[in-house]
Amino acid sequence: MFDTFSLVHVAAYIGAGLAVGISSIGAGIGEGYIAGNANIAMMKQPKSNDILLRTMLIAQAITETGAIFALVIAMLLLFGGSIVTDAGWQRIASLFGAGLVMGAGSLGTGLGIGYAGGQACQGIGRQPRESKVLTANMLIGQALSETSAIFALVIAMLLLYSTPDGNSIVKSFAFIGAAFAMGFGTFGPGFGIGIVAGKAVDGISRFPKQSSVLVRTMFVGAAVAESTSIYSLVVAFLLIFVA
Amino acid sequence: MSEIVRAAALLGAGLCMGMGALGPGLGEGFTAGKACEGIARSPENAGLITRTMLVGQAVSESTGIYSLVISLLLIFAV
Repeated sequence: MFDTFSLVHVAAYIGAGLAVGISSIGAGIGEGYIAGNANIAMMKQPKSNDILLRTMLIAQAITETGAIFALVIAMLLLFGGSIVTDAGWQRIASLFGAGLVMGAGSLGTGLGIGYAGGQACQGIGRQPRESKVLTANMLIGQALSETSAIFALVIAMLLLYSTPDGNSIVKSFAFIGAAFAMGFGTFGPGFGIGIVAGKAVDGISRFPKQSSVLVRTMFVGAAVAESTSIYSLVVAFLLIFVA
Repeated sequence: MSEIVRAAALLGAGLCMGMGALGPGLGEGFTAGKACEGIARSPENAGLITRTMLVGQAVSESTGIYSLVISLLLIFAV
């Protein structure tokens, strides 16, 4: 019943479920927050409804990317990852880890990008004339937040395709450890950078003349918040290739 | 040393860095967000606010660096 060949499939299917399941939480909450704020802004500024609808859809599309990464990884796990004839424990661990890292990795960015998008919609409701500056700043902030999800995608791809096969229990646990490090490690930076971007957009909408100093502060703050995500990436690389 | 000890150390390294990066990242982002809010309200104090933001973030970063050190120790020293 529990031969390794079945366990490879078990790990791939659990990983696929974890990837899409966890990542959808962030994307769903984030997109809902954007839409809610867009509706409130439309209530205040019914004349700018076309700009608001456009901003809402752009922000929601970017929020969706984390969930789409997870969907791709889940599809690879379901149809591409588990097709191996002689698999060992390392393959089991790496397939489970790939799902976990992508699911947990896009949770924080989904929430963060959603927060930035919601603040941008709120800001356009306050200052419809500044919509271009607000949208541009929102997109920059969301791109910064997205980097964490891209790190998670890189680790998931490495776990799927570049890990050596074998039966070493040490290496298997190292792969799961790498997935935990990168998966949970992206939650804080992803959400945190989203908060920075959201507050910067909020500030620009209130005081449009200060946009340059606000963008500068946003970049500095986001770079510091990003550092822990890079530590996680380093530890995950070490666990995959060195340990 | 038995295999399972080394395996547990590596899993622990991953858990340590993962959970350890969660707090600092979120906290530093919140700090920078509030700094942006503060600069928007009183732009003449931008230099002071940025300095305070960086000091606060450095303190917040310390736990992330502890996690990094512990996970490197778990990978290479245990």
